[in-house]
Amino acid sequence: MKHKSLEKYSYTFMLLGLMAVVLLFFTLTKGAMLWKGDVWLGIAMQFPEYGVVTLGLMFCFICGKMDMSFMALGNFATIMAVRYMAGRADSPAGGVILVGILIALAIAACGGLINGLLVAYLDIPPVMATIAMQLVWTGLSVALTNGNTVKGLPALYTEIGHKYLFGFLPVPLLIFLVIFAISYFLLQHTVYGEKLYMVGTNIKAAEFSAINTKRMVIGTYILCDVICCIGCLIMISTLASAKADYGTSYVMRCILILVLAGVLPDGGMGRIWNVLIAIVTIQIIATGVNMFSNLNTYYASLIWGALLIVVLIMSTGAGSGLMKRFTRQKA
Amino acid sequence: MNKAALKRMTRRTEFYMFLLLILLCVVVQVKSGGKLFALPGVFTRMNTTVLRTMVVDGMFAMCSLVVMISGGFDLSFPAIAALSYSLTCTLCLNNGWCQTSPLLGFVMAAAIGWVLGMLNGWIISNFKLNTMIVTLGTQTLFTGISMGLLALKEITSTLPNGFKTFGKLYILEGTDGKIRFTLSAMVLFLIALCLIVSFILNKTMFGRALYAIGGNEVSAERAGYNVKRTKFLLYSAVGAASGFIGMIRVCMESQSIPKAMVGREMTIIPAVILGGASIYGGEGTVFGTMVAVGIISLVSNSMLILGIDSYWQQFFNGLVILVGVTVSALQAKRQKH
Amino acid sequence: MSEYLLQMTGIDKSFGGVHALDHVNFAVRPGKVMCLAGENGCGKSTLVKIISGVYTRDSGQVTFEGKTIEKITPAEATRLGIQVIYQDLSIFPNLTVMENLAINSEITANRKLVNRKRWEQTAKEALSKIGYDIDLHTKMGELSVADKQLVAICRALLFNAKLIIMDEPTTALTKKEVDALFKTVRQLRDSGIAIMFISHKTEEIFEISDDVCIMRNGKNVYSGLTADLTKKDFTYYMTGREIEDDYFIPKNISKDPVLKVDHLTWKDKFQDVSFELRKGEILGITGLLGSGRTELALSLFGLGKVDSGTITLNGQQVRITSPIAAQKLRIGYVPEDRLTEGLCLRQPIADNIMLSSLKQLTRTLGTIRHDELFEKSNEWVKTFSIATDDAHKHASTLSGGNQQKIVLSKWLNNDLDVLILNGPTVGVDIGAKQDIHALVHDLANNGLAVIIISDDLAEVVVNCNRVIVMKDGSLVGEMEGDRITEENILEIIR
Repeated sequence: MKHKSLEKYSYTFMLLGLMAVVLLFFTLTKGAMLWKGDVWLGIAMQFPEYGVVTLGLMFCFICGKMDMSFMALGNFATIMAVRYMAGRADSPAGGVILVGILIALAIAACGGLINGLLVAYLDIPPVMATIAMQLVWTGLSVALTNGNTVKGLPALYTEIGHKYLFGFLPVPLLIFLVIFAISYFLLQHTVYGEKLYMVGTNIKAAEFSAINTKRMVIGTYILCDVICCIGCLIMISTLASAKADYGTSYVMRCILILVLAGVLPDGGMGRIWNVLIAIVTIQIIATGVNMFSNLNTYYASLIWGALLIVVLIMSTGAGSGLMKRFTRQKA
Repeated sequence: MNKAALKRMTRRTEFYMFLLLILLCVVVQVKSGGKLFALPGVFTRMNTTVLRTMVVDGMFAMCSLVVMISGGFDLSFPAIAALSYSLTCTLCLNNGWCQTSPLLGFVMAAAIGWVLGMLNGWIISNFKLNTMIVTLGTQTLFTGISMGLLALKEITSTLPNGFKTFGKLYILEGTDGKIRFTLSAMVLFLIALCLIVSFILNKTMFGRALYAIGGNEVSAERAGYNVKRTKFLLYSAVGAASGFIGMIRVCMESQSIPKAMVGREMTIIPAVILGGASIYGGEGTVFGTMVAVGIISLVSNSMLILGIDSYWQQFFNGLVILVGVTVSALQAKRQKH
Repeated sequence: MSEYLLQMTGIDKSFGGVHALDHVNFAVRPGKVMCLAGENGCGKSTLVKIISGVYTRDSGQVTFEGKTIEKITPAEATRLGIQVIYQDLSIFPNLTVMENLAINSEITANRKLVNRKRWEQTAKEALSKIGYDIDLHTKMGELSVADKQLVAICRALLFNAKLIIMDEPTTALTKKEVDALFKTVRQLRDSGIAIMFISHKTEEIFEISDDVCIMRNGKNVYSGLTADLTKKDFTYYMTGREIEDDYFIPKNISKDPVLKVDHLTWKDKFQDVSFELRKGEILGITGLLGSGRTELALSLFGLGKVDSGTITLNGQQVRITSPIAAQKLRIGYVPEDRLTEGLCLRQPIADNIMLSSLKQLTRTLGTIRHDELFEKSNEWVKTFSIATDDAHKHASTLSGGNQQKIVLSKWLNNDLDVLILNGPTVGVDIGAKQDIHALVHDLANNGLAVIIISDDLAEVVVNCNRVIVMKDGSLVGEMEGDRITEENILEIIR
């Protein structure tokens, strides 16, 4: 971002090219159907919930860590929030909702703290620590709800997920944009962002440079899980309930988006604009697939998987060599 | 056994896991009033159930174990299994195959799994990419193929008879008071797979290659191992095994549900870690893995006896795994210093 | 049969236009130890890789035991009896000693199954070659570096090695271990095996080798008997210039010590270490690997432990619990391992330079002044003449010497009282080495207290006005001024 040369944006261009190809494909096959306002409003309505979650996980990845627990934690946090809100139908809705949201965020922050402590102080490999925590949080949610959905959200709250501000701006999109702006600001313009990239690149060198790496890791897990929880709060609003296993497919989807965007879990890599492009591209594919009445939604997953593999292979030196060989043979 | 060997043994995670398993057995035995093991014949309704739940998880754990020993991380085996068995069952149903013998079905499922595994193997061995991310991609892809492209449906009551009857083969039957209990013949597959994997890991150069690659890939290459070919073989074999195991699951459950395997890797991989395998590669044994799978099966099947609401099962599974990974991380930390 | 076991004449090798080897002539005599010496990047490792068959030469002739060898492949090299022991030893830490010993020959024999008895036999045979005794069932990762090395040697001997190439084998060894290794090397030599020893340590080369071949910039500038060479000549051949030693002369040493260490102990690492450091001084701490020199530095920087004893800074007793605390107390530390502890290689040069002084760039709300980050780091790039046209480029684009300058400027950007340099010129080319030394002299004369930790005795002698020597975790000697000579230090270390 800081560099002015075009070379640095080559990955962004590649992603934009990919998006263009996807758009072109659906335009050719579905024609004008893609370019209706409704379709784009739908896209704007759908991607924010996992888009926000992806932004949260992005911090974790840049820090060189992994989180598998965020959806389980988010579900637990929102279940607790819904339980609180559901029991207070007679109180003024605004206050109840606010407290409910705060409860969820506080739980998420605690979960992030636990993840951070496990990783930073006990040196448990992040994947293992967070898979274990995922089982713990899901287990707690199941135990508390007997695996059932928790309903009874105030009407005002469920409206959030479906409301258009000024008739065109979906509230979830607005939330996403706010989170995106905050994330952009954090990564690009704060000392925290600067340290995050450095810690993610080489945590030992950062420690030797008098940076409190343990605090960075813990703080990043808290930030990650709180942002993910905001995504879950949007999700329960659109679904009007909370459950132990909502959005479990988002874990893999978010990792997929980040890897596609070049934010690898090795740490220190990736730009937030690329993440935005990847999120939107993924949603366009899902929406595009939906326009084919004879295709089910799993076609999107097929395309995502194939896309990820192709992008991965192309990003390696051997992969570009392979590309060259193919093109030469054709010529 | 000499002193050095004893010392080596006490340093291993498996050793403590084994002690934990015995302790758990004793607790359950006492709490249940002697229902876990009973004379004559040792087998009871309870331990046959535990064994039954161990079959599929245990076999998948073997797949996960060999990959982890080589320093990899496979997220795609449940998706491979799901695609293999769903496709096989659909084909068998449509063509009227496997009405008497399930053999063709098993061969087909293994073959499909093998092809899918080869894709994993090709990508991983040729491009030296992060195995976790590659298999995440193939997992998504395979799920997309089975449920999107092929739109494979659930098959329950119409499942070919060959599979149904095969799944109902028992090697032992008994009664617990009035309730009949059985020991599924599928347990034999689990035992066979354990023996095979154990043989491969310990007695073949291929198995030692997996440990060597997991320990130090560059050295393995210098020592003369063909690392690329070994990895390719490994992932294709794991693919074939996954397809086969998926079929066993179908037989045992008498149904083929494409979605049933989603997220299964998240419970199996932790179990393998719990059994002493290292996610950094080079460590892990069949014995340790089976002990860990045993612990988890025992815990989840004796919740009521231990006075725990069954809804808490997942929570306790998570807790056991959390403690397990913490202990092994602390052990690694201590050894480093 | 010729006098030489391996003879290479006119070897050329280039990589995409870069001449890595330029008409190198080179010969190894059987039953002799030959040293291949040279600075980093002189082509030593390329030559080794050609001998072991990893690379193919562009032109030149190779004869082994009098026969001309056209093409060397790794398998051919093994068949001929050439074995390379790489610096990382190519071992499997997760396997047992027995497996490590036997696995290579089992693979070469193209076996499919494991036969424990045969493995054990092979392993025992290997150990017996140098009369080395160790529990075969110990995990390799639990051994010391020296033991690992012996296992690697035994493994090499299994292939009827006639030539064993050892790549910088003493890097991670303590003095005692080096002695033991040399004993083994002599034993092998006496049994008729040729040893090729790659090193850049003058002392060792003179101690162990019969022949020496010195390389510089892809050419061999000297080959012949070690006995015909003086140390001065050796340095000249290594560096290509007469090094005018610019001895450090302290100009203004403060009266009161800035740092005072009393009876400092970190259990099992070092014990009862006491010394003082004044402003304007460059204090050398030397000692072999395992003497506790690095651990002492870590304790002063808050990354090691202090079990007993005290540290006094500017007259006040302090506890240093973390690098952050050390930074607050105005102590800086340039670590030993530049790549893993010093730099974020995949990040820009500028960000690396400013990494430890981000506080200076912080505005309210925690925002960062990017423009200032680049301004300041560009100043350092200029001051240190760091060879880059753009501080936005990644640190990985620079050579070792320039990377070290980044790590140095990272700390000098802070206002320091004490700067600890651990191995400041390891892997740094001669030019940059002199730059760094001159700079450190200036810093000291401008009132900084500097500690140089190094096992490069020449470096310590030239740059320090006072030296303390550590051995087995204890302080065993201290010398000042003219008393500081390599001979005097060696006498204490031994």
